Amino acid sequence: MSEQRIDLAPLLAQVQQAGSVVAPYWPVSSFVAVNPLGGLEHLRFEEATASARSLYGAQTHLSLADYRAEYALGRITDAELLSAITKANPAGAGAALQLGGASVTVAEIIMFDLLSGPITPEGATEPDSFTQSLNSYLSTWCATYVDSDTAAWALPDKEDGFFAAWRSAVEVDRGFTKLFGEETAVQVAAVAHQPLLALQQSLDNANIADSDRAEVLQLLAVKLPGWAGYARWCDEWAPADHRGPSLKFLDLLAVRVVIESAAGQIQRHASTQPMNDVTVEKARIDAVIRSVADGPVTDGQRAAVAEIIQNHSDDDRRHLWLQAHERNFHDRLLGKLQRVDPGRPEAGPDAQMVMCIDVRSEGLRHQFEALGSYDTYGFAGFFGVPVRWRPLGSDLGEARCPVLVSPRHEIAEVPASNAPIGEVEGFLGRAAAASAAQRALHDTKKHLGAPFAFAEASGWLTGPLAAARTLKPGKGLRAKNKPDTAPAVDDRVSNPSAPSLISGLSLQEQSLFAEAIVRTIGLHEFAPIVVLCGHASATVNNPHASSLDCGACGGAPGGPSARIASAILNEPDVRANLATNGVEIPDTTWFVPAEHDTVSDVITILDPELIPSHHADAVTKLQADLATAGAQNSIARAARLPGNPANVRDRGNDWAQVRPEWGLAGNAAFVVGPRSITQELDLSSRVFLHSYDANSDPDEVALETIMTAPLVVAQWISSQYYFSTVDNDVFGAGDKMLHNPVGGTVGVLRGDGGDLAIGLPLQSTSAGDRRGHDPLRLMAVIQAPLERIEAIIARNTGLRQLVEGEWIHLAGRSHGHEPWSIRTPAGTWETWQPATETPSEDISLELA
Amino acid sequence: MSEWDSLTKMAKIEVVVDGGDVPAVRELLLAAGATGYTSVDGVSGLGHHGQHQGRLLFNDRSSLSMVISVVPLDQVEPVIAGVRQLLQDRHGVFFVSETNVSRPEYFA
Repeated sequence: MSEQRIDLAPLLAQVQQAGSVVAPYWPVSSFVAVNPLGGLEHLRFEEATASARSLYGAQTHLSLADYRAEYALGRITDAELLSAITKANPAGAGAALQLGGASVTVAEIIMFDLLSGPITPEGATEPDSFTQSLNSYLSTWCATYVDSDTAAWALPDKEDGFFAAWRSAVEVDRGFTKLFGEETAVQVAAVAHQPLLALQQSLDNANIADSDRAEVLQLLAVKLPGWAGYARWCDEWAPADHRGPSLKFLDLLAVRVVIESAAGQIQRHASTQPMNDVTVEKARIDAVIRSVADGPVTDGQRAAVAEIIQNHSDDDRRHLWLQAHERNFHDRLLGKLQRVDPGRPEAGPDAQMVMCIDVRSEGLRHQFEALGSYDTYGFAGFFGVPVRWRPLGSDLGEARCPVLVSPRHEIAEVPASNAPIGEVEGFLGRAAAASAAQRALHDTKKHLGAPFAFAEASGWLTGPLAAARTLKPGKGLRAKNKPDTAPAVDDRVSNPSAPSLISGLSLQEQSLFAEAIVRTIGLHEFAPIVVLCGHASATVNNPHASSLDCGACGGAPGGPSARIASAILNEPDVRANLATNGVEIPDTTWFVPAEHDTVSDVITILDPELIPSHHADAVTKLQADLATAGAQNSIARAARLPGNPANVRDRGNDWAQVRPEWGLAGNAAFVVGPRSITQELDLSSRVFLHSYDANSDPDEVALETIMTAPLVVAQWISSQYYFSTVDNDVFGAGDKMLHNPVGGTVGVLRGDGGDLAIGLPLQSTSAGDRRGHDPLRLMAVIQAPLERIEAIIARNTGLRQLVEGEWIHLAGRSHGHEPWSIRTPAGTWETWQPATETPSEDISLELA
Repeated sequence: MSEWDSLTKMAKIEVVVDGGDVPAVRELLLAAGATGYTSVDGVSGLGHHGQHQGRLLFNDRSSLSMVISVVPLDQVEPVIAGVRQLLQDRHGVFFVSETNVSRPEYFA
């Protein structure tokens, strides 16, 4: 036994190493944006993207033609190109040489090549036919496996895992023999039934040396990144009480290795980068010479140009374009923010509203502030309370916090103390009936023939309903007559029907959460009304609906988090505790939860029955202004959304609508600082805004929290949009029109097979042939003492990798009257100077 | 026989890794024969990669964690081999030492 373990433990570690390259994929029911290259974040961005091109055969940048189109539109300038080239080659870019009677710098030669040098034909790398067959076979098996939880016919040996189920079936599967041949089938039948042992046997059979195994397994792991990512989620991220289908990464990899080994097809090395095409290279040299030379060019001069061209592959050229593209945005944004921070107005506002940092909040905040004496703040939309939420009538709690945090409590929604018993019982009865009806419908689908009978029996009702919904979207069926409820926040409150499921929060915990909220955003003085506004996106017929909900709430609506946080901050005992720590919340202040539906721009006040009557007039005015702000925000959104602007607020209910809203498309920056530095500026819903006041954070705890959590989550979102845009085939989910849900809520397939689709649908990043997102790395802009920013980077390894590996760019200034500085990867700060004298301050994203 | 002599000698493994790597370490320990482990989240310290912060308020994955396990001496080799392999491409350290336990049946 011991000897076997000595053999197998390192192999298991190698499997884990291979898995770490694959980004985990969250089920589509709680879609979480992740960096698909997250497993390569220990490398610099440029190195990681080179690895991704090699491992996945993917594009990692826009095409040269796309970048040139940006240049033609004036969104990249000569100055920004030269800046990027000089940054990449600080020593040599300024050197001058003579070319056909003209004097030109190395940087200019590279720029002329970027602008006019021919492009090597670009095309997707297709896997070989064996890999295509195996991918298709494995994908079918994965889909069958995750679907078998809900299928009428159970998969044999499923309870022992994916490998065991496949291993039992393969020996009698004639389809396998037809697909891979008799010899392969015989060899497969000889391997062990235990996945790690079978893996070892197969690697031994293929003569893969121990020193090569990690690399070989890595190459095999990325061949189906969707299913591998889902397996990684099951292994490492799924909640302990996850009820859905579970797939182990080891099992999935073992099946592939066993088959590849048996078929003698194991790939041992990553594909090499294509060599520069000699013909194209010659044409590039000619193009540069034509752009520069006024007279004859000597052989020596031509050779000098050739050397420069040969040192810049198409991948290098794309990366220079990316840097110039980013420089353009940075200059526009910092140009907008370069004013001296005016500070807060002396007079207190009539109301304050705390919204999620999500870029979609920025537009609404901008509109709302213009309507009255209102201050707004940005904070992660779970409002700092990491809990599971169990709605009334449900026996299942869901995490409502960023995936970086484990929920520490479960909060149940319980009937309000004064809710009539009849109402409560009625609601619970209807909820149970609806659940039973759903189950019955689901069961109907499982049985052969039953769906046809169901359609015959119910078509007279569902047909007209479907027609009505198609012709007049906008009036969906909603839950009615729900009694007044409250979150059972306090552990002194209990629900007698399910006491074991409610842990509640102690007074001390509530006080800690409350203090974290107000200190992190620098909330010193409190208006009579403080709105905590979460967000959600109500859409129908949309498997990716949760991708439009609140990411800080784990891909779920943010209303419950706003309700919980408000309940805590309205609790007198909590306020008494805060007062002892120097945070005085006046008795006259009431925290009001709300939820912003980002697809309709309707803002709903939650728990209105709890608002003290003396706030009634103020809340009425507030609601009117929020309605106006929502309407104005929807007009601004309609200008960007393709389609009829008049219907922009109804698109969520249109079940034929593939783009109900743009979501977070266009996101490009993350600003940390007081609202005064961005107030009155139109940031075009492209900026995450996190409120922060360095003066009230002397021990930098709040800044560290922001930089290690919301900033990291924003970088995941930014990366997801980036890679889904540059290569939607590999890193995105493809065309929504072809989506076919699998495994209930596991994910979608493109059509009837293929890998589990990861990333964002095509319609989330583009409209036809127009891009809806600029693929740029996230720019973090922080107003805080630079030495504090440095100290935080130094002691947080993951953050340091992101900053020094150039996964994010960072600008900062210690005080509001100072100019912005840019942090270099080496850790120095250079005062920002725009590449062009007067950069545009318009950061809006016109569809390219 | 003293109380000390009544204890059973075993091997203790302490692995310090990023919080995100804890599931891999746990799986490895169990696969290598350990019957259990103890996890301590949010550990801080100074090491090869500089200072490490303790618990972060809203990020359980990036702070360091320590996973502790105890196995019989004759089963420690696979654990060492596995953890050594795992740490080849990620941050982390591990310590192996002799320890004494009063209930050896818990660990075998």
